[in-house]
Amino acid sequence: MKNKSKTNMIGKIWRGYSFIFVFFIIFLVYALTSSGFTWSATMNIFRHSAVIGIVALGMGLVCLTGEIDLSAGSTLAFVSGFSVVIFNMTNGNIAATLIFSLVMGALLGLINGILVGVVKMPSFIVTLATMLIYRSFAQYFCQHISKKLIGGGSSVYKMTSGLAGYDSMYGFGNGKLATLPIVGIVLILFTVLFVYITNDTKFGKKIYAVGSSEKGAFMSGINVRLMKMMSFVIMGVMIGAAAFLWICMNGSSDPATTGNSYEMYAIAAVVLGGIAMSGGKGKMIGVLFGSLSYTVIDKIIIALKMDSLINNAIKGIILILVILIQVAGPQIKEKFMTSKE
Amino acid sequence: MALLEMKGIRKSFSGVPVLKGVDLTVEKGEIHALLGENGAGKSTLMNVLTGTIPCDGGSIRFDGQDLKNITVRKSEQLGIAFVHQELNLFNDLRVFENVFINREITGAFGKLNKKEMIRQSEELFERLGIKMDPKAMVSDLRTGDKQLLEISKALLTGAKLLILDEPTTSLNNDEVEHLFGMVKDLKNKGISFIFISHKMPEIFAYCDSYTVFRNGELIGSGKIADTTPPEVTKLMVGHAEEAGSYEKRKTGDTVLKLENLSGKGFKNISFEVKKGEIIGLTGLQGCGSSELLQCLFGITAPIEGTLEINGKPVKSGSVHKAMKAGVGLLPANRKETSVIPDMSLVENMYLAEQTLSAGKFHINKKAETEKYNRYQKQLNIKAESGNSPIVSLSGGNQQKVFIARWLNTDANILLFDNPTQGIDVGAKEEIYKLILSLANEGKTVLVNTLEIPELQKVADKCLIFYEGQIAGTLSHEEIEEHTVMMMSTGLTETGAKKNDNEVTVK
Repeated sequence: MKNKSKTNMIGKIWRGYSFIFVFFIIFLVYALTSSGFTWSATMNIFRHSAVIGIVALGMGLVCLTGEIDLSAGSTLAFVSGFSVVIFNMTNGNIAATLIFSLVMGALLGLINGILVGVVKMPSFIVTLATMLIYRSFAQYFCQHISKKLIGGGSSVYKMTSGLAGYDSMYGFGNGKLATLPIVGIVLILFTVLFVYITNDTKFGKKIYAVGSSEKGAFMSGINVRLMKMMSFVIMGVMIGAAAFLWICMNGSSDPATTGNSYEMYAIAAVVLGGIAMSGGKGKMIGVLFGSLSYTVIDKIIIALKMDSLINNAIKGIILILVILIQVAGPQIKEKFMTSKE
Repeated sequence: MALLEMKGIRKSFSGVPVLKGVDLTVEKGEIHALLGENGAGKSTLMNVLTGTIPCDGGSIRFDGQDLKNITVRKSEQLGIAFVHQELNLFNDLRVFENVFINREITGAFGKLNKKEMIRQSEELFERLGIKMDPKAMVSDLRTGDKQLLEISKALLTGAKLLILDEPTTSLNNDEVEHLFGMVKDLKNKGISFIFISHKMPEIFAYCDSYTVFRNGELIGSGKIADTTPPEVTKLMVGHAEEAGSYEKRKTGDTVLKLENLSGKGFKNISFEVKKGEIIGLTGLQGCGSSELLQCLFGITAPIEGTLEINGKPVKSGSVHKAMKAGVGLLPANRKETSVIPDMSLVENMYLAEQTLSAGKFHINKKAETEKYNRYQKQLNIKAESGNSPIVSLSGGNQQKVFIARWLNTDANILLFDNPTQGIDVGAKEEIYKLILSLANEGKTVLVNTLEIPELQKVADKCLIFYEGQIAGTLSHEEIEEHTVMMMSTGLTETGAKKNDNEVTVK
């Protein structure tokens, strides 16, 4: 009996925090394979996780309500592209660019949110459609607005480097604070904020309740439609913030490739982080580890000098393996128990 | 020789006997009414017969064959068909596809032979005297036609015995007549029916014989022609149980006033409730009382009439507004409508209150736990700690957590919709006591239940619903199973029977 409760305990920790185990295993592989394993290389993981991590946090919130957002990558391309335009238009006004990023992200999220939450259309379909729409707009306008606004490039939104705010933005995107990349700190701050919101606020508990039992939440007086809409708006704001980081880090945005497949990476990070796609279950802290894990995989592939084209295959296999253990584990255990009796 | 003979059937669920050795005999070519209150064991017996659940003891003889280890498949092959209350039809398929589901007629390469299936369906419908287009979409059919389709489906496989589980609850009078017209035809062809219903007029109009169960025991059986509705009702309810701890309370001002209120499922409802009163609502499934509670809680908007809560008129259907006005609803179907399965007890408790205090963003976990501990003592919730998952509790204790949920919102009008559903006897007793003590503390309580003994224990006044209207009002002393049953089956003259054709209740 005592033994049983002990294994249950370990099982519980594995189920609740498997993302930490997964991260450390992957990290260990990285540490062993990488010849250039240093503190700053490790810290670089945070830098490269920043954009996808922030998108994944928003995705985590959406998934907790039981919905999905496939338009994340396209929204990132749209917002980052037009933020560059605003930057160029305002002669390098950082505040205007930042505010535009966040508001534009929120607006695009609101469109998803109204259609999913209020009109009650399936989120898979709605965001599939807006995925096509947002990226198409980003690419179309890149060709059809004044060259001056896109920084003189041909098919890329480029920040004009001579403008006033350029250096401080680029410094923000690529600088370090006490050996930590600034964008990595931003990611950690957002994670802390999201962990707080989901754990300790009434808003967060309502998000969980909606995902756990929509009917039960409704009967407890929760405005289910509003909660779903809000989760998409917050998702949009997060993508806006990620878009701002993106242009700070890169100084440009290519509407054809920026954020490509990011919705898939974000969803994978969310799932790896232990959030149930059916909603209502999982921890926000897992999302951070989920996104870090994926960045480390990139690093391992570089360290092993493998072709980066194999990248997605490995990420996919790891995702299947982790979920396989989570899903098949209890089934195998149950079979084992009944056969023992 | 009898078609079906069940003798001494016993069945217990986790030690609680549900069937205590009951008999049921159905002759060839008769309509047999199986009667009893909710929980008398009718459904369990039928599930044993169709092989859904195994029985613990007793013998079953069908069509001259002894049945052992019945499975659903076997009972189907033998010719026993169960037409469930909730229809098992595929709304998105066509009529003939439903008829032939899982026994499709196929040609080469598994290609469906639709022509043949349509032809056979037409033939079947003709034989049964039903007018139905085999190519119609099931979703376009009326409920009555769906019922007929379900029965025809059973007959395609050559059923000899059909079990109809309350088939008329969702039908209007014309449809009922049509249904029984067909049933009578089939009866003359030698097919037998077991008919489960609570509606006395139907039973006496169409059935040949009856069997009555109460609390898992056989109470009586015989020919319908030899008995009367009051006699059967008496058999069903038995005699009054021991008195509870009910005593008269002082009541205050009027807190709830309904005037000619109509809405989805109910019509022209008028009554007043005073502070501290316990009002019982009852009636058959779908009689409108549950729908009325949902309307009071703002889930549906009233169509006509006025509703006043604490002297203020309330109009639009909004749960939030109803909660602000001090109304709390403990909904029926606890599992679906109350339980937030991924959350702990404390979280399940504070959720509703937090929609009212959403302005204060942060959750003070310590304060919430203290609140929970207080309610835990007051309501006697048996749980390890407030952080246990809600799904780890028994039904009765879960229900107490949800009562705490509404006490936590400071609701002073508590609506309890079937609060003892799926709860064991001991916990039921506790819930009644809680209702009484809440009323003593000045809460106003409306209890909707199908179980009349519950009302005898708590209600100051009882409103009996029939087909969406109030068929009668009884004071505490007058609440008596026999009278209630008569009223809720539409037997009394004073009831809403004459309005049968006006209101169709789902």
